[in-house]
Amino acid sequence: MIGKILGADFLKIKRKGFWLLTFLGPFGVVALQMVNYGIRKDYLLKQSNDDWGYYLVNVSAFTPLALVLGIAILTSFISSVENETNAWKQLLALPVSKMSVYLSKFTVLAILLLISSVLLMVLTLVYGIFLDLGEEIPFIDLLKYSFYPYFAALPILALQLWLATVSQNQGIPITAGILGTIFTYSAHYLPDWMIWKWPTLRNEWNEPFFNVLLGIGVGILLYIAGMIDFTRRDVK
Amino acid sequence: MEYVLQTKNLTKRFGRENAVVGLDMKIPRGEVYGFLGPNGAGKTTTIRMLLGLMKPTYGTIHIFNKDLKKEKIDILRKVGSLVENPSYYPHLTAYENLEALRKILGVPKARIHDVLEIVRLTDVANKKVKGFSLGMKQRLGIAAALLHHPDLLILDEPTNGLDPSGIIEIRNLIKRLPSEFGMTVLISSHLLSEIDQIATTVGILSKGKMIFQDSIEAMRRQAQQRIIFKVSDSDHAWRALLSKGIKAEYKDGVIYLSERSNEKVAHAVSTLVHEGFSIYRVEEEKRSLEDVFLQMTMEEKIE
Ligand SMILES: Nc1ncnc2c1ncn2[C@@H]1O[C@H](COP(=O)(O)OP(=O)(O)O)[C@@H](O)[C@H]1O
Ligand SMILES: [Mg+2]
Repeated sequence: MIGKILGADFLKIKRKGFWLLTFLGPFGVVALQMVNYGIRKDYLLKQSNDDWGYYLVNVSAFTPLALVLGIAILTSFISSVENETNAWKQLLALPVSKMSVYLSKFTVLAILLLISSVLLMVLTLVYGIFLDLGEEIPFIDLLKYSFYPYFAALPILALQLWLATVSQNQGIPITAGILGTIFTYSAHYLPDWMIWKWPTLRNEWNEPFFNVLLGIGVGILLYIAGMIDFTRRDVK
Repeated sequence: MEYVLQTKNLTKRFGRENAVVGLDMKIPRGEVYGFLGPNGAGKTTTIRMLLGLMKPTYGTIHIFNKDLKKEKIDILRKVGSLVENPSYYPHLTAYENLEALRKILGVPKARIHDVLEIVRLTDVANKKVKGFSLGMKQRLGIAAALLHHPDLLILDEPTNGLDPSGIIEIRNLIKRLPSEFGMTVLISSHLLSEIDQIATTVGILSKGKMIFQDSIEAMRRQAQQRIIFKVSDSDHAWRALLSKGIKAEYKDGVIYLSERSNEKVAHAVSTLVHEGFSIYRVEEEKRSLEDVFLQMTMEEKIE
């Protein structure tokens, strides 16, 4: 059943800017470094002996922000598709379970964000090669910087999706999205338990993989809590 | 009688407000069930419960003799619906809108063309729904409801907001469904004129309660014109009629005769004259179905 609903959901997101945004996020992150390295490449190369490593750190400075902002926008888009003409009532009067409808919405966004992460990796690699940063490409680090933030951001995705689908007033998820982006921007000052810090991969143990594990674990919990709440409510 | 849909004591409360109270709804197979009630009576709330969109506060719903609580998905496989304002995806074409539903319902693609044909939207199949008129959107909603050959079609005020020609078009469409496709139809409206022309069974809802449920003929019988007698000393006159075996009702100083044949009226007149009452007026009461409906819903309000 979930396959059919997914098919329908991918049809519904046509012409709504989902795909554009999926591309724009990673492109924007790398484009910032195109500007940065375009203007002061020589200076930047002098900062470190490990040119690839330094470049990856520069790119990844903006990844969490783009991701958290992207999640806020995508969750708001996907709920607006059903909210606009209150199509929830039509969708949920079909022979489908509410759980699978919710799972499908989550899955669509998880897939789009994964595609964004893949694009981020490819664009980072391509521009890095273009910059001629050296023969030894640190593929492991490239993978980490491209995909760790994605997994670490799953709790934010679960939270924002829940807010966007159950709120009568769309001001609530939008406010939460803006606050979340500000939190991530000031992650340096946040305690480790705040989920908005996790995509930055920083923690007191200096172990980014913790954030991945936490992201997946807490992401699943928040997802289940949101789904249960969604199924219990009367349809809008 | 075989009922496609049956509710028992169906009740929905919003906080302290009772939106629907103790509804025992019965829809026989193959009927067009007109679900009538003024705005705010609880029609949409009832329909939302019938579709599993809202949980009843209490009461049970059986559709196709299955418990909605236990076999919702199975039941919905054979139910088509249109609730309140039409829902659609404005950025998609009419065809794509139906395709998004078809993917979930798993019917063949050809069915999309069939239903577009039924609601006469074939020409605009590839236009975005954003630009459609309300009537077209409403028809698209009906097409969507028909997509999976439902046995029960539930339409909530499908002609609301349409102009007269749109109303006629939808009415003609709904009329065809039971005979051509073997469907049972539940259609709600706040306008009696609408239900009067298509329904075969009627349920009237007022302030969340079912105040009448029977065939449309039974309702018409209630609407039948009666003969009104205004006479001197009407209370005694009424008793005199009854004692002579003439069926009559008495209310507020007026005698109502339900049998309207010339002989019966003549008999009643001669009886009254014979007994020495003065007859001031004998007239025919004009009561439309509309009056009956209004009276029924008014009586509820006064209580
Ligand atoms: N979601 C809701 N929350 C609170 N009250 C509601 C809700 N939906 C409907 N009502 C109330 O229930 C009553 C019946 O409404 P409704 O079923 O829409 O009537 P109808 O469809 O017959 O016009 C109204 O008084 C309405 O205000
Ligand atoms: Mg209504």
